[in-house]
Amino acid sequence: MGQFFNNLLQDINAFLWGLAGYSSQEITTLAEDSWIGYLLAAIIQAALLLHVLAAGTVLFTWAERKVCGRIQDRLGPTRVGGKFGWLQSIADGIKLLCKEDLIPDEADSLLFRIAPYLSISASFAALIVLPFSDGWVAQQLNIGAFFILAIMGLEVFGVILAGYASGSKWSLYGAMREAAQVISYEIPLAMCVVVPVLLVGSMNLGTIANYQAGWFTNWLIFHDPFAFATFWIYFTCGIASVNRAPFDLAEAESELVAGFHTEYSGMRWSLLFMAEYGSMFTVSGLGVLLFLGAWYGPLPIFNSWTSGTESWYLAQMANLVGCLNFVLKSSLLVIVMIWVRWTLPRLRIDQVMTMCLKYCVPLSLIGLSGVLLWQLLAIPSLNDLAPARSDLTEHWAEKSSSPFVKDSQEKVDLFDGRNTQ
Amino acid sequence: MASLFSTSLTTIFATTSGMAISTSLVAYLVLFVFIGSAFVLANLLIGRLLRPRKPHPEKAEIYECGESTIGSSYIQFDIRFYVIALLFIIFDVEVVFFFPWAILIGKAIFLRNSAYAIDESSSESLKPLQPTLAEMGLSPASQSISLEENSLLEIAEGANLLAWVGALDMLLFVSILLVGFAYLWKRGDLDWIRSYQPGNKSIHELLSQNDSREP
Repeated sequence: MGQFFNNLLQDINAFLWGLAGYSSQEITTLAEDSWIGYLLAAIIQAALLLHVLAAGTVLFTWAERKVCGRIQDRLGPTRVGGKFGWLQSIADGIKLLCKEDLIPDEADSLLFRIAPYLSISASFAALIVLPFSDGWVAQQLNIGAFFILAIMGLEVFGVILAGYASGSKWSLYGAMREAAQVISYEIPLAMCVVVPVLLVGSMNLGTIANYQAGWFTNWLIFHDPFAFATFWIYFTCGIASVNRAPFDLAEAESELVAGFHTEYSGMRWSLLFMAEYGSMFTVSGLGVLLFLGAWYGPLPIFNSWTSGTESWYLAQMANLVGCLNFVLKSSLLVIVMIWVRWTLPRLRIDQVMTMCLKYCVPLSLIGLSGVLLWQLLAIPSLNDLAPARSDLTEHWAEKSSSPFVKDSQEKVDLFDGRNTQ
Repeated sequence: MASLFSTSLTTIFATTSGMAISTSLVAYLVLFVFIGSAFVLANLLIGRLLRPRKPHPEKAEIYECGESTIGSSYIQFDIRFYVIALLFIIFDVEVVFFFPWAILIGKAIFLRNSAYAIDESSSESLKPLQPTLAEMGLSPASQSISLEENSLLEIAEGANLLAWVGALDMLLFVSILLVGFAYLWKRGDLDWIRSYQPGNKSIHELLSQNDSREP
């Protein structure tokens, strides 16, 4: 037992030294072999990413109320926490925490309780492969784009379960609509994700992001007109797949009271919403990664700051700025989603299905074949106008080689090679 | 005992084997699901300490705007949802095939473009292409080709051919599916509102017929 604790202390020590960027050969090898170091790192990553759900929801609900208020010519919350009411969501959270938790007699009690767990877990697990900056990702996967789509698709199970288990007809209708809508919109969504994968030749989200380094003209949305159109199809389908207005038929309050969460109250209800806001951020983040230059700003300012130096700290500073860039761009897309919600009226179910099957699917196919032809015929694109992309990419990637990041990149390369051979 | 556990886990997380990344991905998934569930549980437990609990028979009823409910809520729902599910299966399988194909096409086009762009006179002209060739399984290490014998032009033309053939293959594959899609569209299966008459006319057609009959 003493030996075990001794090992544990050594592992923690090695991990912390590794985090601090001291990469002596000894420490690196120790960290590679120590599962406790990996576990601790994973737990820290999970704790950080949990804030996307927890803190993200607090911020986005506040933003939603403010934006909604302004759009409707009101002020929105103004009292709690000063002039802008920015503590409103926290006050709401406390209120929800103190509300009575009701489960109807007719509900399937077990499934009713399981549903929020499913939603939150799926919405949270999608963040495993979402990089916030170069190497700042829990798990750098060579099938990242595919993985994130697959895991995000699981969130719908929570909603279906919630609707089915409630024992209410409103809930059941809401859940069935949600199921039909989400699985239909997965198709055009995935086809739009294929476009950047085709342009870069990789499903690794980090690789796709680094391809867009440099000036904003390098962003894949500006590659050609088809890619430009594809982004907007992606965004439309993204709104539909996270079940936001104008596609929020599952919770259409004018028809179904509250849809799948009619019978939910208090904290259980808010957890279902936390999952939804988390997915909103993930879909926006994926859009930013694939089309909008990921963590690179419109101008390559920080590339020039870090080029020519070997300082790991400076590179991490650049990565921090990159992370802020990414969060800012994703949040902007979330704000656009909120804007859309309070501007457009809700569609009917037949319009939603027509929109998907008769417009989005053919349009995304046209977009995909357009981009393919553009590439095959080697038509010059706006991306080629910018200064040499590879130089900038290499600088950025070189600088962020802490022992841990380097290690994970090597792993990916190994796996990449094995897979294709 | 503890060290045995430690060693076995170490072998799982060993970075050198090809299995390592998928195993650690599964470990990550388990961990994230666990932490997500713990987050939900913690919130509900804290709420349990704070919230009141005053049960009442009326609180446990289903909410239908104040009316008492009629019958069970586990009802049959519309067959149209199954049609949507069938459509989804067909297209989703198709989209799954798009991803590996897109990677290969992307790499072939990158290879072609960079091979054309490289100055052939330089001594290490093939060096920039090595990573992409290796990713496509064409590195000299895999003994399929020897790079020294192939000129840049040949590589570029080969990559070009691969990209075009791949594109045509996918065109064939998609067009077979699109024939079915067109058939469904024509038949009216994509319409949400439709009649179940043998003629399978859409509701819009029926409505327009009715309109024309009116005086």
